[in-house]
Amino acid sequence: MNLQGLLKRSAPTLVWLIGLLIIWQISSWFLLNVLQVPLAQSKLPYIHELVFTFTEYSGTLLYQASITMKSAIIGFAVGTFVGILLAIFMSSSKWIEQLAFPYLVASQMIPILGLAPIVYGIVRDDGVSRIIIAAFMTFFPVVLNTLRGLRSAEPSAVELMHSYAAKPWAVYWKLRFPQSLPSLFTGLKIAAPLSVTGAILVELMGATEGIGVIMLRNLYYGSSHAYMFWLTVIVGALLGFLSYLVISLVERLVTPWQPEFRKSGGDE
Amino acid sequence: MTLVKTKMPEIEIDHVSMYYQTGSSEVLALKDVTVDIKKGEFVSLLGPSGCGKTTLLRIMADLIQPTSGMIRIAGTTAKEARLAQKYGIVFQNPVLYDWRKVKKNITLPLEMMKVSKAEQEKRADRLLELVGLTKFKDKYPWQLSGGMQQRVAIARALAMEPEILLMDEPFSALDEFSRERLNEELLSIWSEVKNTVVFVTHSIPEAIFLSDRVFVLSPHPGRLSKVVEIPLPRPRTAEMRESPEFYQLITEIRNSFEGV
Repeated sequence: MNLQGLLKRSAPTLVWLIGLLIIWQISSWFLLNVLQVPLAQSKLPYIHELVFTFTEYSGTLLYQASITMKSAIIGFAVGTFVGILLAIFMSSSKWIEQLAFPYLVASQMIPILGLAPIVYGIVRDDGVSRIIIAAFMTFFPVVLNTLRGLRSAEPSAVELMHSYAAKPWAVYWKLRFPQSLPSLFTGLKIAAPLSVTGAILVELMGATEGIGVIMLRNLYYGSSHAYMFWLTVIVGALLGFLSYLVISLVERLVTPWQPEFRKSGGDE
Repeated sequence: MTLVKTKMPEIEIDHVSMYYQTGSSEVLALKDVTVDIKKGEFVSLLGPSGCGKTTLLRIMADLIQPTSGMIRIAGTTAKEARLAQKYGIVFQNPVLYDWRKVKKNITLPLEMMKVSKAEQEKRADRLLELVGLTKFKDKYPWQLSGGMQQRVAIARALAMEPEILLMDEPFSALDEFSRERLNEELLSIWSEVKNTVVFVTHSIPEAIFLSDRVFVLSPHPGRLSKVVEIPLPRPRTAEMRESPEFYQLITEIRNSFEGV
């Protein structure tokens, strides 16, 4: 893609972003000077103050973010692996699916806020419990979407395999699994930001390092640390967004044949 | 019912009947079909919807099992023939795998067999040339037209060098022009591979143009009502479609549907 095309495509997004920032800045000024609400900067801080604080503490923020990201990535990987295995297992028979499905759904009914201290109480290690919670939040959308994908092969495509006297593993490897990739990636795109949320959540419960830890600390310190608190929130959101972008990029590389990628991918 | 007895039948269809269970009632899709297909013969199963032609083809392919009767393919059961990969099949839709490029779609059946990579390459290249798609081997299926996709499907069905080629209305989704051109191409491909072809269609001219014999099936219940020999010489040419013999055959077959 050439630079001009990229500019043209991203122009609406850019205009929208700049507009949003201007509204933010004006609102912040309005809260502080016109309405004179108490703790106005905690409610909506000036962007330039945030930028200033960021330049000062960027080292700390990036380091803590990397800690959070590390447990999110490991949790995501574990959750994805478990999720795919479960989906393959469930797709092998309707019976297993019916048996396992209610428990899967029930598992998602457990409030994460309640689960996190329980997990922490059991493993007694905030690094491990972060990974477990991140994995726990990741695996459900992965199972659901992968299962749907594995079942999405057309009957005639399956019959074709049947006509080749293909072994069950060959039907999976050559048909069902590639066919499920678009659905799998849909699940992963939901799961990736969730794994970041999960990792931050456990950090809020008590940990020594991570973006969630400084988020909580700066919340306690009160208004004087409002900018830093806001920055941790923004960094957390960016981590989630970044994880989504990475998965989208991988999806494009792995499955360029998907209908939604065809227009820009084809050379005709 | 016409019984054709030959010395070396490739496919023996022996008193095949098929019932479908729909709710509480049973539908008779095929009633007692008995006929032989010779080795190297091009046969069409022709009839309107509901005559059981596709059902019969799917029974030959061992994709479904008949309620009674049986199929023997070169002396073995349909299942044994399928497990031995004796036939290649082409469906109404190309059923190409979107994530595989054209050439990889053609080698798909070979990957299930113990065929070396080098041999796979060799056969795919030859087949690509046979169906005239060498230039498109590195395209994805969805980058091709419908007719080209169906040619890929034919190449794929021929990849394992099957003794039998089963085709289930392969050109019915195409426009009339592509269909006639592909009919001619199919015959020129067939003249090189010379295997047994069973071709399902609901088009009378298509069946006549392609076949040595046309098996006319009638609906409700599906049964073999007539076997028509097509005496047109080979190689068949587009001009034959305009010949009086061709029209006479159309009339003959059309008349056999009357009173059904």
